[in-house]
Amino acid sequence: MAAALTIDGLEVDFGGFKAVDGMTTVIDEGELRVVLGPNGAGKTTLMDLVSGKTPSTAGEVRLFGKEITNWPEHQIARAGVGRKFQIPSVFRDLTVRDNLNVAVSHEPRVFRNLRLGMAAADRSRIDEVIALTGLEPVLDTIAGDLSHGQMQWLELGMLITQQARVILLDEPTAGMTQAETAKTADIILRLKGAHTILVVEHDMAFVRKIAERVTVMHMGKLLAEGPMARIEQDPAVREAYLGSGGVH
Amino acid sequence: MTRTKLFKYGDWGIYILFIVIVLGLPLVMTDVFWLNRIAKYLVYGMLGIAIALSWGYAGILNLGQGLFFGLGAYMVAMSLKLQSYTSLQQGSDTPVPDFMLWNAEPGAPTELCCITSGSWLWLPFQAQWFGMVMAIVLPVILALVLSSAIFRLRVSGVYVAIITLALVLLVRLLIIDAQPITNGFNGLTDLGWLTIGGFEFDPYLVSTYYIVAVSICVVLLATRWLVSTRAGLILQSTRDDPNRSRYLGYDVAAYQVFFFTVSAGIAGFAGMLYVIAAEFASPSFLDITFSISMVVWAAVGGRSSLIGAAIGAILINTIEATASETEMFREAWKLIIGVIFVAVVLYMPRGLAGLARDAVGLFAQTRDSGKTRTARSGAPAE
Ligand SMILES: Nc1ncnc2c1ncn2[C@@H]1O[C@H](COP(=O)(O)OP(=O)(O)OP(=O)(O)O)[C@@H](O)[C@H]1O
Ligand SMILES: [Mg+2]
Repeated sequence: MAAALTIDGLEVDFGGFKAVDGMTTVIDEGELRVVLGPNGAGKTTLMDLVSGKTPSTAGEVRLFGKEITNWPEHQIARAGVGRKFQIPSVFRDLTVRDNLNVAVSHEPRVFRNLRLGMAAADRSRIDEVIALTGLEPVLDTIAGDLSHGQMQWLELGMLITQQARVILLDEPTAGMTQAETAKTADIILRLKGAHTILVVEHDMAFVRKIAERVTVMHMGKLLAEGPMARIEQDPAVREAYLGSGGVH
Repeated sequence: MTRTKLFKYGDWGIYILFIVIVLGLPLVMTDVFWLNRIAKYLVYGMLGIAIALSWGYAGILNLGQGLFFGLGAYMVAMSLKLQSYTSLQQGSDTPVPDFMLWNAEPGAPTELCCITSGSWLWLPFQAQWFGMVMAIVLPVILALVLSSAIFRLRVSGVYVAIITLALVLLVRLLIIDAQPITNGFNGLTDLGWLTIGGFEFDPYLVSTYYIVAVSICVVLLATRWLVSTRAGLILQSTRDDPNRSRYLGYDVAAYQVFFFTVSAGIAGFAGMLYVIAAEFASPSFLDITFSISMVVWAAVGGRSSLIGAAIGAILINTIEATASETEMFREAWKLIIGVIFVAVVLYMPRGLAGLARDAVGLFAQTRDSGKTRTARSGAPAE
C-alpha cells in the first residue's frame, strides 16, 4: 500500500525543550491510525508540525511522496491535509450551512470565488455530509449556538467537505457524552478507507472501537507501534503510563 | 412564508425603498441647497458602506479611511483646480493655480512645470479624466501595498486600527507640509466644475445630485453582490476564525487585502464625488475625527449591514444639519451622538439594522404562533 503521510525524524525545539524529538512513522493510504501518549507527550505538537501551525526545526513531512515540511498552513491544506482542533473550531457567526459551504475549498483563489452559488457536484457532496453527520435539523442555526457535540460533528463534516485526503483529529470526543462519542466513532469508521485518518484520543473505549494500528508517543518520541492488542500488553507502554494510572 | 424568506424579502424591500427614495428625492425636494447637502450626505453614506465592508464583513477596523477619501478628493480637486477661472488668470498660456503664485520661488517662471518645487506633479492633471481616474487608482494602489504588508504579517485587531490611524495622521501632515503644491492648511478651493462633454456640473444642479445618487445606488448593489459571492462568504469566515479558514486551504491575507482594497477604492470614489458636490478639498478630510465619525455612523446604522451603515451615515448627518441651525443644539448634538455611540456599542452591536431585523423576526414569530393556534383550533373539524 502507498504511504499517505510520512513523518521522518521530525523535531521541534522550543528554546531547548524538544516537544517532538525525532518522531518517525508512516501512515498508509486509507489507514486509520490512533496516536496515544500521556499528557504532554507531544501529540498535539506533532499535528501542529504536520499541518504547518508550528515550523519544525528538523526532519521531514511527506504527503503522498511530496515534501510539505514547513509549508504555509493554507498550502498544506491545499495539498490535502485537513485538521480538527482539540477545541472545536468552526465559524461561530455563520450558519451551519454556510460553514459547510466555506469548506468547499477546492478553488481557494479570491477572483475565482467572485460568483454566486456553487456547482451541483459540490452541493450534492454537502448533502452527503449533512446526512452522514446528522446536521439536517440545525442547518440554519448559527454555529456558535450548537451543542458541543454538534459543533464537533460540524467540524468533522467540514473536513469531509474539504475532501482532505489526510485528516488529523485531535481528541474528537473530548467533552462528549457516551452517546455522542458512539456517534462520533460511527462517523469516523464510515470515513475509513476513503480518507487517511490520524486520531489522537484518550478515551480508551473509543480507541478500542476504532483502532487498528496504534502509535504510542512518549516525551516527543515514538515509544511503540503496532496492533492495539499487542500495544496494550507492551511493558514499555505500561511503564510510560504508570504516572497516569496505566492505559485506561 | 418562512422566517428566512421573510428576512430576504424584507431585505430587498429596504434596498428598493432606499433606491426609490434616493432617486426620487429631487421630485419632492426643490430646495437646491438642501439637495446639494443631501448629495454630500449620500457621499458619507458611501463611506458608511466602505466601513461596513471592511469592519463588518472582514472584521478589519480601519480608523484611517479618511486617508483614501482624502486622496481621492485631492486627486480630482487638482484637476478641477486647473479648470477654475482662478487658474487661468495668472498670465500664462496654461493654467496655474493661484496659490502657487503666492508660494512661487523668486524669479520662477509662471508655468506649471516649474513655478514651485514639485509643481510639475500637477502637469498630468490638466486632463480632467486623469484626476478622476487617479481618485480611485491612487487609493487602490496605496491600499494594496499597505494591506499586503499588514495582512501578510498577520497583523490584526486593534493593531490594524492603530497603524491606519497613524498613517492618516502622517499623510495629513505631509499634505499640510507640502504647501507649495497643496496649499497646505487651506486646501484646494475655488475649484472649477466637473465638465463632461461640454456639460458643466454646477454642484447645485439636479444632474449633479444624480451623479452622486446613482453612484451610491451602484456602489450599494455592487458591494451587496460582492458580499453575497462565495468570496464574500469566505471573507466572513476569515473574520470568525482565520485559522480555520487557513486549514481549509484559503490564503486569508489574500481575502483581507482584496476587500480592504475595494473598501479603499470606494472611499476614494466617495472623495471624488464629495469634491464635485462641495467644490473644495482640505486636509480636514484626513482629520482623525472625520475617520472616527465614519466608524460611528457605521456602528449606529449597523456595521454588518451595508445599507444599515449607509442609512446610519445619512440619518446622523441630516439630523445634525437640521439640529445645528440652533447654536445650543449644536453643542448638545455632539454629546447626543457620543451617548448614542456608546449605547450602540454596549447594547446594540448590530445597530439600527439589527433592530430592524429583530423587529421582523418578532413579527414572524407572533404570526407563526398565531398560525399554530388557528391550526390547532381547526383540527377537530378535519
Ligand atoms: N509553543 C510551545 N512552546 C513551548 N512549549 C510547548 C509549546 N507547545 C507545546 N509545548 C510543550 O510541549 C509539550 C507537548 O505538548 P502537547 O500539547 O503536544 O502534548 P499532548 O501530547 O497533546 O498532550 P495532551 O494529551 O495533554 O493534549 C508540553 O509539555 C507543552 O507544554
Ligand atoms: Mg493535545
